[in-house]
Amino acid sequence: MLQKMKKVQVIGPKKDLQNVVDVLYHTGTVHLEDLSKTILPGDTILRKMDPGKSGDISNILVKIGGIFLSLPKIQDDLQKQDQIYKDLQKKSHDDLTARARYVIEELESTTKDLASNKSDLEFSVNALDRYEKIIKKIQPLESQLPILEGFEVTVILIQREFRDVLELVRNALVEITKNQFELISADVDEATIATVIIFNKKYSERVHSFIFSQNVNEVRMPQEYLGKPFNEILLLIAEKRKKSLDEMAVIDKKLEALAAVWYQELSVLKKVLEDRNEEASVYGKFGQTEYTFLIEGWIPKKYLNRTKETIKNIFGSRVIVIELELSPEKMNDAPTFYDNPAIVKPFEFLIQIIGAPKYKEVDPSPLIAIFFPIFFGLMVGDIAYGAIILVFAFIMKKKYKAEIWLQHLMNILIISSIPAIFFGFLFGEFFGNLGEEMGWIHPIHFLGITWNRIEAMVPLLILAIAIGVFHVILGLSIGIINSLAKKSRKHAIEKAGMITVIIGILLVMGATVEMLPSILLPPGIVLIVIALPLIIYGGGFFGAFEIMSTAVNILSYARIMAIGMASVILALVANKLGGTIEVAYVGFLIAALLHILNIGLAMFSPFLHSLRLHLVEFHSKFYEGGGKMYKPFMKEKTG
Amino acid sequence: MVDFGIPIGAGIAFGLGALGTGIAQSRIGAAGAGAVAERPESFGLMMILVAIPETLVILGFVVSAMIMLMLK
Repeated sequence: MLQKMKKVQVIGPKKDLQNVVDVLYHTGTVHLEDLSKTILPGDTILRKMDPGKSGDISNILVKIGGIFLSLPKIQDDLQKQDQIYKDLQKKSHDDLTARARYVIEELESTTKDLASNKSDLEFSVNALDRYEKIIKKIQPLESQLPILEGFEVTVILIQREFRDVLELVRNALVEITKNQFELISADVDEATIATVIIFNKKYSERVHSFIFSQNVNEVRMPQEYLGKPFNEILLLIAEKRKKSLDEMAVIDKKLEALAAVWYQELSVLKKVLEDRNEEASVYGKFGQTEYTFLIEGWIPKKYLNRTKETIKNIFGSRVIVIELELSPEKMNDAPTFYDNPAIVKPFEFLIQIIGAPKYKEVDPSPLIAIFFPIFFGLMVGDIAYGAIILVFAFIMKKKYKAEIWLQHLMNILIISSIPAIFFGFLFGEFFGNLGEEMGWIHPIHFLGITWNRIEAMVPLLILAIAIGVFHVILGLSIGIINSLAKKSRKHAIEKAGMITVIIGILLVMGATVEMLPSILLPPGIVLIVIALPLIIYGGGFFGAFEIMSTAVNILSYARIMAIGMASVILALVANKLGGTIEVAYVGFLIAALLHILNIGLAMFSPFLHSLRLHLVEFHSKFYEGGGKMYKPFMKEKTG
Repeated sequence: MVDFGIPIGAGIAFGLGALGTGIAQSRIGAAGAGAVAERPESFGLMMILVAIPETLVILGFVVSAMIMLMLK
């Protein structure tokens, strides 16, 4: 339901500004307006407020965040954090930043040094692991290496796909070392080849610079390993690694000790600073006089008293909340706030795809919440498919809790899968005709029709068009309400004329093909004749062309039948193809694959077409858009 | 003798509708992708514009189904 909005001004002494902003932020009911845009440059009484000291807090936040990340995470002590929160929350901007600076001074250099030492040690352990891996691989080649005084050994690593470069290296080495070199290769892993090069030391500089120029990954062994047998190097590596790991354990202990003392406060300090940073970012929207501040915004009527009470309880009569009386034209600027029950909420998300509706427009989300699942269900119409979509949506919802948009989509799928299962019962479909073939389920016989989707094609088409007629007339009716709310009489008359002409055309067509009694033909013609001037009056001469487009809109609902038909035929093909293959499990596999493909399509295509019917055929009859959604000043919700 | 007229007629009705939709959607889709890359907030509007020509193929399908069912 669309919520009534009230425009308010919050006025108080400047010394309370920060606390008032903090209270408004935590109350989370005010949609702030940018007052600075309405203040004229020459206004001597009301001036723009200076922007908050957000840059100051941002710098502190970066440092606190860095320290927080370098400390090991420990269990949150909620009771202690609550106490710290209360203490910090009371502090003024200057006191809070002073405390934060003290914490930074106490911890920054220590944690930075410890973290950097740990990172160096980790790097060194990684390098040692790499040397060890390479040396173990080339160890068998040791016997082939000539032990010569004055010769240097280096190892290069080459990606297998670039092994051609080895020939290039060999040719260059022949030239550089006057053929005084040896080159032996061995595989390190599936992707890498290690090549050992032994060459005369006097060419060392030229060889290394050539390898560097070729962008080849050269393994530079530390000085202390050079000239030693591989076995000895491996021992040295193991020894050094143990030493590094021991040092890392000592650093971890020190960090844990620091975390035990500081973690709870840092965690809270970070949250409070983030809030203050957010609060400081909106100061530029406020106005000020010599001694007072002025905040302007919108509050939903149902939250107004609560907000007033909160302000009064904290600040007494020092800070006041004034409710402004606005003309209907000014109310058009109000943000739109739909507060619907949880089952309708996901469908609000669909409306916002085409932009925010204007305030005063009828909230179509409850109607979408009814029709979207029905259209989806009619198109999917299979018990098994519906159940699989339901399970899939639940799994995705559980797996990706942080993705808000995905949560909305999955909620829509969950709600829509219920009608899909229901219509599956009606159409007697369980994996297409498998349920019927096995004798588990049969299509319902209702109104003299067996609702088997293949055989009852014409009744389904008529049903789809009938739904279209109802849905489009419903859209036009909402359009009349919206037009009347905007006091746009002409548009309301045009839409009323359109409804009349649709009914007239239906009567004429029904009577002509003898689906309706022929006595209804003259009233049908009369309705069309009455409606035409109404449409031309409301929408001009071209308004009459809208009749064609509305008729096409109604026919477009035939897709409900068509998409459903395509889905059921693919399911039949899957079952038939699976059944004709003699090897049972191959047949089963093929049928399963085709059904998976069909379920994938069933999730995507009916969703998109159902959405399209709402956004193109239904919304175009009443939706104006161009509004702004109600966005209260509060902490962004995540996850 | 088998009468091929009906299935061929149904095929033409559906095929030309699909072709028309394809041509229209390819042009709208290409322009729409460009527009969405520049202004992501126009995604909703572009989706509607891309969806509009789909009516052609749906009507083609309905007509072809009518031909198959009513003329056999």
